Amino acid sequence: MFFYKFPDLNNMSWKRIKAIMMHEFFITKRSLEVINDIILYPLLSIIIFGFLTVYLSGSTGLIIGQQVLIGMILWQVISMTQYSIAVGCLWDVWARNLTNIFISPISNLEFLLAYTITGSIKSLIVIILGGIISFYFFGVNLLDLGLINLIIYFINLAIFGFGFAIMVLGLIFRFGTRVQALSWGLIAILQPLMAVIYPVSILPKFLQIIAYLLPPTYIFEAARANVTDKGIQWSNIGIAFFLNCLFIFLAVAFFNFMFNQSKKTGQFARLEG
Amino acid sequence: MAVLEVKNLTKKFGSFTAVDNISFDLKEGEILGLLGPNGAGKTTTIQMLLGITIPDDGEIKYFDKDFFQNRQDCLQIINYTSAFNTLQGRTTVWENLFVFANLYQIDNAKEKIKKLAEYFEIKDLLDSHYKNLSTGEKTRVNFIKALLNDPKIILMDEPTASLDPDIADKTLSLIEKFKQENKIAILYTSHNMDEIDRICDRVIFLSHGKIVAEDTPLNLTKKIETTTLRITFDKGKEIIEKYLKENKQEYKFSSDNIVKIKTKERLVPKIIFGISSEGIWMTDIEIQKPTLENVFLQISRSK
Repeated sequence: MFFYKFPDLNNMSWKRIKAIMMHEFFITKRSLEVINDIILYPLLSIIIFGFLTVYLSGSTGLIIGQQVLIGMILWQVISMTQYSIAVGCLWDVWARNLTNIFISPISNLEFLLAYTITGSIKSLIVIILGGIISFYFFGVNLLDLGLINLIIYFINLAIFGFGFAIMVLGLIFRFGTRVQALSWGLIAILQPLMAVIYPVSILPKFLQIIAYLLPPTYIFEAARANVTDKGIQWSNIGIAFFLNCLFIFLAVAFFNFMFNQSKKTGQFARLEG
Repeated sequence: MAVLEVKNLTKKFGSFTAVDNISFDLKEGEILGLLGPNGAGKTTTIQMLLGITIPDDGEIKYFDKDFFQNRQDCLQIINYTSAFNTLQGRTTVWENLFVFANLYQIDNAKEKIKKLAEYFEIKDLLDSHYKNLSTGEKTRVNFIKALLNDPKIILMDEPTASLDPDIADKTLSLIEKFKQENKIAILYTSHNMDEIDRICDRVIFLSHGKIVAEDTPLNLTKKIETTTLRITFDKGKEIIEKYLKENKQEYKFSSDNIVKIKTKERLVPKIIFGISSEGIWMTDIEIQKPTLENVFLQISRSK
């Protein structure tokens, strides 16, 4: 069936991608809860961790405090990308509008690409605002990591967030809205394993094995190292990028399989029922 | 010319066969009614025609192109509207329509939306939130969405369900007008037989996933030979009863002055003349011809 075919890149349309991006923008600007979720709550957690930074800087030294806050700001990239894609799609399920979108000529790739771009834009906004707050209120400058490093970290974390979101989306398409809570809950389960605000070494050995299977772990390790060493951590970044490529490939295959199964079982058509 | 061809379409959900090896076509400019009781397979058929449910077997062709091999090309020339699908309630009517205009890659989207909004008399609602519209207004917006891409085929799944009779009538008039002006082929499902009778050129009856009848509404009703003759009379109930018994007619008295006779259409003049010859003064005669609803009930109950 057609969903197993390799995406036809020649048939891709920027207008259709733009349509979904506009749709996402229209919903966002008219939904206070979305604005809360993508701006207020991330910034609040950055502020809370900012105060923790101040506290830790007093008792353990500035370095650890900085590492904690930077880890928390970078975490927002995964969290926001994941949230934007998975929950963004749910707004149309709840409105019983998803069928209308999928009976238009849009392809899966165009649909996912549009949400990836909007998710990345939202993440970027949160990172910029978080960076400003951390600099002016807590004296931690995100740019001290190095701009190139920051861009590399952002891309890697966004790819992981995107991959994770489409896996969740695949589960929602396949099993319906009864598993919709995964959209905002599942990623939180992985957060302790990714060593966002502490080094992997403090995890028990068996958890370290799992942690090293997750691409963001290497990015957070690299970012922590960057606080004292400004150089690019090529080994960590290389492994993260390799794992991300593998992960995104598996995630897209998983999504396509689940979407296909959802259409075979009739679940997709019942999704809005 | 067939704009849609369906061959041996089959869909099973576990051991339940929702659509059982059906084949039909839809011609240019035709309105084809898809009828059947609940669970007959109408909605599953439409879902397969839209590509949101994958069939187990069979072939769907739009303008001679295989749907599964040419999904994007086919979806570009068809559209869908249903009482059960809505647009995004949080955004405005204009925002919703503009998004869909772009999804269908419409040139001059703003002008197109404006023109259709004028045609469907909702121009003043373009800046309203979709969720705040009445059911009738939402139906008209859904129609605009379904017409944005100048479709050659529209699939309509009970588009007038939950509309009051006045709005439903206006909606049907719009469909008739649009069909005449644009030669759009429409596949139409509804439970309202009067609606089907009014707008459909041809009707397919589905029951338990199979096509059990296919014809024009008029020919389908002709297949039912029984007509009900309702006679109101002044006096002489016993004389009428005796006459009907002698002529082996099926009858029932609703009161001392009204009798309903179920008979073959060709026998109606003979019965009226016969009763009149018995000296009965008939004050009212009503011939109730079989309707599409009778056909529907007969088919639904015979399986």
